[in-house]
Amino acid sequence: MKLSIYSLKNILFQGEASSFNCQTIMGEITVLDHHEALISVLSAGVIKLIDKDKKEQFFPINSGFLEVKPDNEVRCIVEQ
Amino acid sequence: MESPQNIKKRLKSVSNINKITKAMEMVAATKMRKSQEIALASRPYAFAALDFLATISSLDSAKLPELFTKREIKKVLFVLVSSDKGLAGAFNSSVFRKFERHQKIEKEEWKNEEQVYLAVGEKAFNYLTKKNYNVVKKFVSVGDYTTTQQVGPIVDFIVEGYMNESWDRVVVISTHFRSALKQEPHVRRILPIDFDHIADTVKEIIPERGKFADLIKEHNINFVPNKASTTDYLIEPSPQEVLNKLAKHLFFIQVYHLILEANASEHSARRMAMKTASDNANELGNALNLQYNKSRQSKITTEISEISAGAEALS
Repeated sequence: MKLSIYSLKNILFQGEASSFNCQTIMGEITVLDHHEALISVLSAGVIKLIDKDKKEQFFPINSGFLEVKPDNEVRCIVEQ
Repeated sequence: MESPQNIKKRLKSVSNINKITKAMEMVAATKMRKSQEIALASRPYAFAALDFLATISSLDSAKLPELFTKREIKKVLFVLVSSDKGLAGAFNSSVFRKFERHQKIEKEEWKNEEQVYLAVGEKAFNYLTKKNYNVVKKFVSVGDYTTTQQVGPIVDFIVEGYMNESWDRVVVISTHFRSALKQEPHVRRILPIDFDHIADTVKEIIPERGKFADLIKEHNINFVPNKASTTDYLIEPSPQEVLNKLAKHLFFIQVYHLILEANASEHSARRMAMKTASDNANELGNALNLQYNKSRQSKITTEISEISAGAEALS
């Protein structure tokens, strides 16, 4: 899926990813390919994602918003 | 004619001033570039946030949060954004002038409304207290490049006051960075929130001319929400809650951008002021140098004529 993570200071990640794990205020979720369309609020925690080279990347965040679009695109804005 | 020693002394102090202003010019130029970069780096974020808002607010179940709704206006909060330090040319005074003009024009319309003021920057506070305005609070040292930690308290203060109806409308007077050579004071209403106003602020962060000007074409986001595509979204915890959180966040982004823009303008105004100062110092230095050489020459001439007169008398 196409994933982009923006913060106020820079673009944290942009590109293909196979898995995206984060804490929302409803609990921890993992977004995989072709996830249902979703909008949620992120809470403080660590975002863990697996990019197309099967490498794990971690970003600590304070808060943020997550949007999963119907066309296999995930966008998220975070505050660090 | 002034003695050469005196002129020499003045010459030295002028050249010192020249060095100082030149250094300040360089510093201001670098700071301007950096604050522009910071402002531009946050743009993808702001666009994404606006897009979010468009998506969520198109859902039928969501009611617009209080920050968006207009109500009867009894009290207006004015926020003046200025710098903490002087030596920035007309930067601060142009903000204050705009403010005065704005007051005059809208006087008729606003005569039933009470006005309170919020000062961002030491200079704005000094100005408002001197004019005996009712200043509710001042925020200083949002200085060189503002950070989210510095903007946070300002935003919280404004939102809190708005929520418990201390004011019903918030107007910001700050400087818009059009290009490195041109800055303009602008009056903007920031509360109640308006989609188009935020979109404008975010778009305007790109200067019209100069290094970053070509970025303007790449983004062309449409803020008209598309009803058909948003019906099947799953929203956690609830559209209302997400919207409330997002509204405050967008407001934060807007204030953050306004202050960043004011920062960039301050640095560029200071750069211009310092450039003029060093040009003047240069000119003055040249004139003094000429004067010094002339007085030295005339002294030599007198001495020579004295010597030759003495030699003639001896022979």
